[in-house]
Amino acid sequence: MKLREYEAKNVLREAGIPVPAGFLIRSADELTPHLGALGTAFVLKAQVDVGGRGKAGGILMAGKADGTKVAKELFGKLIKGLPVKEVLAEQKLDIQHEYYLSIMVDRSSKQPLILFTEAGGVEIEITAREHPELIKKVVANPLMKDLPPFMIRELIGKAPKEIGPVINRLYKIFIEKDALLAEINPLVTTPNGVFAADAKIIVDDNALGRQGITMNRDLSEREREAEKHGFSYVELDGAIGVIGNGAGLTMATLDLIEYYGGKAANFLDVGGGAESERVMNAVRLVASVPSVKVIVVNLLGGITKCDEVAKGIIAAGISQKVIVRLAGTNEAEGRKLLSEKGYEMLDTMDLVVKKAVQVTA
Amino acid sequence: MIYGDRKTGILVQGATGKQGEFHIGLMNAYAQQVGGRGVVAGVTPGKGGQQVHGVPVFNTVKDAMKEHDIGAAVIFVPAGAAADAIMEEANAGIRTIVCITEHIPVQDTMKAIAYARMEGASVIGPNCPGLLSPGEVKMGIMPAGLFSHGNVGVISRSGTLTYEVVDELTRAGIGQSTVVGIGGDPVIGQTFVDVLERFENDPQTKAVVLIGEVGGNLEEEGAKSTDLPIVSYIAGVSAPPDKRMGHAGAIVEGGEGDARSKIARLKKHGVPVASRVSEIPDMVRELFRCHC
Repeated sequence: MKLREYEAKNVLREAGIPVPAGFLIRSADELTPHLGALGTAFVLKAQVDVGGRGKAGGILMAGKADGTKVAKELFGKLIKGLPVKEVLAEQKLDIQHEYYLSIMVDRSSKQPLILFTEAGGVEIEITAREHPELIKKVVANPLMKDLPPFMIRELIGKAPKEIGPVINRLYKIFIEKDALLAEINPLVTTPNGVFAADAKIIVDDNALGRQGITMNRDLSEREREAEKHGFSYVELDGAIGVIGNGAGLTMATLDLIEYYGGKAANFLDVGGGAESERVMNAVRLVASVPSVKVIVVNLLGGITKCDEVAKGIIAAGISQKVIVRLAGTNEAEGRKLLSEKGYEMLDTMDLVVKKAVQVTA
Repeated sequence: MIYGDRKTGILVQGATGKQGEFHIGLMNAYAQQVGGRGVVAGVTPGKGGQQVHGVPVFNTVKDAMKEHDIGAAVIFVPAGAAADAIMEEANAGIRTIVCITEHIPVQDTMKAIAYARMEGASVIGPNCPGLLSPGEVKMGIMPAGLFSHGNVGVISRSGTLTYEVVDELTRAGIGQSTVVGIGGDPVIGQTFVDVLERFENDPQTKAVVLIGEVGGNLEEEGAKSTDLPIVSYIAGVSAPPDKRMGHAGAIVEGGEGDARSKIARLKKHGVPVASRVSEIPDMVRELFRCHC
């Protein structure tokens, strides 16, 4: 789950990384008591869970005189379709130089990878493409609690030495907060020292519990409902509902729908070993989306038993058409149950998907 | 075969749990069928002295190692204890560790894999179905009935999709040497590169089916690392764009890590990529026609 900017900055502040003085407000009126502390010019930043908010108009400059008016304007906006409910009012920094600092989980080395460049700021991806040599990379050993000084020296090169402690503190945050990504862009130098002007922290969904995060905001309401049942669920914008077991097989089913020219409405991965009640819940959840005209069930029984799946489909009793492909453990029993009730069954995933696409065409 | 054979004694960590017990039964049924040793010991702290399907349970891995010749371990413990299980096994001297457990925090996985590497152990997974060498050994949860003996290796990031591919291959009369599910997590022990290296040194394996997914570039790294003929399939072409990993993901992985660019990079490297799973058997036959 991605932390909002003000949450990420609180984490940084607690770890001793300087961040600009700032206040979170939930309405334009809440700005008034902070006007004195913010100085003559400050920044209002919409706290929305979406990337590229600056270019979408989510960051506005303001001053003591027009602050409340600008805040009202920002609270009235939609940023990439999302309403602005929280705004971070933040001191404007006197920026001398912008750096980029990031720590991520590196699939390739299986270790934390630290990136640093003196060419930071909004154009960082262009720098990465055109001048990759400007980005310094160091792989850390996850068994070490601190970065050894030589790694920090390698990273910062000729950049100011005061950046060194920031790198080590961000590394500790990365480890202790179960981050998949901890990024400061830009990390800026000012006459008053180094500051993290913006920050992004993504917490591992598998560690939300031990990080004391009770609700995953990145999920929609129906996705959270699905999560309670232990399903992975994603909503799309077509007419075919998809139920599979295992992420790979479910994804391959979706790809096949696209291959045959159809569009999926949603997909749900029931996971392994699903019993009839779980399957029933899965079918009902997928069918509860109004745009779903037909449901493809593609299950390969390993530890999942086909007769349990069949019972679940029948018990769901939904109005939409269900097209089933079942293979594996207890396949014959499952097929018998479904054919008695008149469900359409086909032998391969190609056939069920083709049929579903025809039905919705 | 790679990673183990009929003679490999297997230890199951989390032996007395529901999953552990169920799969000890299935692994040993397979061992009996092929004349292998199968699971020889189980470990559950505090349950030493019990038996599961006739397999003795020990409190620690070292206790089990004292009494049994063990070459590999399979982990079924809950997510919070799995990294510890990997490290315990590596420390006790087990060199092949298969971790079935899913939902392990990635920071734990990174530490456990770094530690296992120091001890010289290979970790398969986590969040994987394990491996199966038809006629030799099964370590994990793959449904053995779909497999057939032959000379095509399969490496996959997913579970059921692997079974689908194996099922297609078997129906088409194409047997498998070893099928390895390397796991779907961002950080896994054995990657495509590692397994391909084993296949290169395995005289039985003549071609490899590489089943990847959207995200990262481990598939491309694998394809570049080997001279073995490969057919690939990448799931996730229609997947909604992933929540992006900030700028760092794009900088490191080049582009967006999406399925289409991954497929383009594989094709550029001369690897045929199937658009549908059902195309894989014919493409494998084509490989053999080219290379025989």
